[in-house]
Order: sequence, then C-alpha cells, then structure tokens
Amino acid sequence: MFNSFNQIQWEYLFNFELVRDSLPLLLQGLRISMVIALFSMIFALLLGLVIAIMRMSKHWIFHLPARVFISFMRGTPLLVFIFILYYGLPVIGVQFNNPIVAGIVGVSLNFAAYNAEVIRSAILSVPRGQWEAAESLQMGFPETMWRIIIPQATRIALPPTFSIFMDIVKGTSLTSIITVNELLYSARIVAGRTYESMTMYIAAALIYWVVCIIIGYFQQRLEKRYNRYLNQR
Amino acid sequence: MIDVINLKKSFDNTTVLESINFSVKKGEVVCLIGPSGSGKTTLLRCLNLLEIPNSGAIKMGDDQLTFSERKFKKNKLLTLRKYSGMVFQGFHLFPHKTVMENIIEAPLIVKKQSKAKLIKQGEQLLEKVGMIDHKDKYPDSLSGGQQQRAAIARALMMEPAIMLFDEPTSALDPQLVREVLKVIEGLAKEGQTMVIVTHEMNFARRVADKVLFIDGGFIVEEGPPEQVLDNPSHKQTKTFLQLLDDEQ
Ligand SMILES: Nc1ncnc2c1ncn2[C@@H]1O[C@H](COP(=O)(O)OP(=O)(O)OP(=O)(O)O)[C@@H](O)[C@H]1O
Ligand SMILES: [Mg+2]
Repeated sequence: MFNSFNQIQWEYLFNFELVRDSLPLLLQGLRISMVIALFSMIFALLLGLVIAIMRMSKHWIFHLPARVFISFMRGTPLLVFIFILYYGLPVIGVQFNNPIVAGIVGVSLNFAAYNAEVIRSAILSVPRGQWEAAESLQMGFPETMWRIIIPQATRIALPPTFSIFMDIVKGTSLTSIITVNELLYSARIVAGRTYESMTMYIAAALIYWVVCIIIGYFQQRLEKRYNRYLNQR
Repeated sequence: MIDVINLKKSFDNTTVLESINFSVKKGEVVCLIGPSGSGKTTLLRCLNLLEIPNSGAIKMGDDQLTFSERKFKKNKLLTLRKYSGMVFQGFHLFPHKTVMENIIEAPLIVKKQSKAKLIKQGEQLLEKVGMIDHKDKYPDSLSGGQQQRAAIARALMMEPAIMLFDEPTSALDPQLVREVLKVIEGLAKEGQTMVIVTHEMNFARRVADKVLFIDGGFIVEEGPPEQVLDNPSHKQTKTFLQLLDDEQ
C-alpha cells in the first residue's frame, strides 16, 4: 500500500496524454466491438423471439429443443462457449476463418437464450382476454401474435431487453481472448507496450460506459413511445 | 338461426354443461340467466367456439358441427365462428389501438377489406353506439361504459348473424349500465339476433323474446320473460329469482 496520499503517482493512475495518443486505436477497436454488438443484438432478438414461441408451444418437438437450448446457454459461461466455437469446432472440421464471425455467433446464441426468456414472460403477461378477443374476431394465431400480442409484450419487454443489449456490448469484450481486435484488445496492446494498465483499462471502461449510456437513452425514448397509450386521461 | 343439441362440456373431471338443448330463431333475443357457476359463460363461449364442447352439436345457419372426443377439422370451427360476435364482461379492447383502430382491425386483417371503406362503416357504427367523439382515443382514457360500447361496435364490424353478450354491464359502475343497455336495446329493435347473459332482470323483461334459466348443467326452464321471470314453474328458478330479489 502507499504511505501517504501525496505519494500516489497520479500519472500512473490516469495518463491523459497516453489516452489521447492511443484514442485512434481504441476507437478502431470500438468499431469492431460495435459491429459484433449490433449484429448480435439483432440476431439474439430475432432468434430469441423464435425460441420463445417454440418454448411456448404445446408440442414437445418445438418446446423441448427450445428448453434445452435455453438451459445450456444460460448454464454455461459465454467465454467457454466462445472457446468451444473457435478452438473446439475445428476438431470436427468447422473452422471460422474470421474470429469476429465466431464472436458474433457466440454472443448471439448465448444472449438469444436470455432474450427468449424475457420475450416469453412478456408474452405471457399479456392478459388472456386479448387472445380471446382476437380469436373471437376470427383472427388467426400469427396475426394475433404479431398485431395484438407482440406490441403489448414489447412495452413490457423493453427494459429487460435493453439490459441484455448492454450485457451484449460488455460481452463482446470476451472475444478479445479469441484474438478479435476489439476495444479491450486494443487497450491491452497499449497497456502491454507502455505498462500503463490502469490508464488503458479505465479508458476502455469509460468507453463501454458511454456506449451503454447511449443505449439507455434509446431505451428511454422507446419506453416513452410504447407508454403513449396509457394513462392519458 | 341457432340449434344447440345435447351439448356437453366438462373441464378435466367436472362436467359444467350436462346436456344443453335450445334454439334461437332469426331476430330473436334470448336472455340466459342462472346462478353463479352454472355455466352461462361456458355455454356462450361454446357458441363462439372459444371453448370446444365434448359432445353434442351446434347448428348455425346452414352449417352444423358435431363434436366428439376425437379431434375435428379446424376450418369447420372457423366456419361456425363466423356466425357470432362476442362481447365480454371485461371488454378486452386492444389497449395499444385507438377506438377506430380497434374496430377496423379484424375486418382489415381477416376480411382484407379496404381501410377507407372500413373507416366509413366504422364511423357509422360509432355514431350508433354514441362513441364517434371518442374514435381517436385509446381505451385506457375511456370509462368502462365507453369501452364496452366500443367493444360492441368492434364485434358488430364483423357483421355477425348472432351477437353474444356475457354480462356486458356487470363490470360497470351503476351509473354507466344504462348507456350500454340502451345500445343493446337499440340492436334488439333493429332485429339483431342476440344471446345475452345478464343479471339485469328488468332489462331482460324489456328486450327478451325468450328467457333461458340454466342450472346444474341443464336448461331448467325456458319461455317468454313474463312466464319465466314472473311466473316460474320450477323450484330452482323460483329459488334463484328469490335470491336475486333479496339482493336488491
Ligand atoms: N377453463 C376452465 N377450467 C376449469 N374449470 C372451468 C373453466 N372455466 C369455467 N370453469 C368452471 O365451470 C363452471 C362454470 O363456469 P362459468 O364461468 O361458465 O359460470 P357462469 O355461469 O358464467 O358463472 P358467473 O355467473 O359467476 O359468471 C365453474 O364451476 C367454473 O369453475
Ligand atoms: Mg360468467
């Protein structure tokens, strides 16, 4: 430990100049993080919707695979799953020629399970009367799902879904371990070269934080839009 | 218009409807009364095919569907459902759609009719149920009575041969009951065929051509309101009406 406050070497804690100089590299890394995150959000959401609907099916052909998928993905660390994809699959002849693709696949599949559970509980929380009203008006399952249930479920699913989006952004940092040169990877390179670990990792942390603040802003706007029809008496 | 023959419906091990038989003629208004838990809602839901009977048959217009424990064709069920529109005790309007969007939704999606034409038709209907001033509001900003009138318009938009009402006013504050009953009476005057579950006996006296009293899984008594409500011949009916009187 340090003896007195004055002995802390502040420039080792946060070296602004170093951050400024390495910013282009960090932002390049951020770009790759964002590519992985954006693709993963879209895939995880779409796949999550499909799996949620499968999971709610009465027929085991649909709900059994969905349950196993959700259980496995939630029950295993994302990092381990990414290792399996990138280092394990080549053994059976499946090789990702780009680790970014492996990263997207890993993050998407893993978070799809969480999305599926959020979507399922949101769909189930729409009152049964809504299904029955639509059914009695001769609407079929797909139309009812898409036009009546999903819009109402979306409002309920928004906050937890955006938490997942933030987790996805943070989860992309795990792909640095399979040599994806994303944000954390770039920070590590500079830290290794300059021995200024504190500065570089704090810089990386702050950048992740800013991204999540922006995501949070979109969440707020969407929530406002989806709450429009409530309580306007 | 409707013939119900030996209809039976049970949930798991409890039989709610033992054997139901009755008919409704075109233009007739039938009120269904009976104690709580006697299966009024279940019967109405069977008529709308929201519930699938275990056995018996339902005939509507030229279509008949005979039920058995075995599975049957789904499209037959849809054919029969086209005959009826349902108004629920709890309204069940779509909260994320305005009144106008609510009422044009089904014909737009199911019948694929043109939106402009539906909006015109919707405006006429909303005029009729006294909701035209609220056409662009969301259900959450409406009173219960207004929501129920919108729900009636929504069912009417599909132009069903038969309207089914399940205690349309029992979720409403007393001062809102009248406005909804007036709309239903208006429909009765126009000759709309209707089956109405209700506890409003005075209303039943005014609109009903026929009253059915259901208890213990059977239609115990049926006839014109003067007979069933004022001069019942069965003990069960008398007990039920006595209980209702005591409450009021
Ligand atoms: N989905 C269901 N599963 C199991 N039992 C049910 C179901 N729906 C209704 N029941 C049972 O069937 C019986 C009749 O119910 P129903 O709702 O048809 O009665 P009701 O005459 O409409 O009563 P109320 O006047 O209280 O509305 C009740 O005992 C009820 O518990
Ligand atoms: Mg009932």
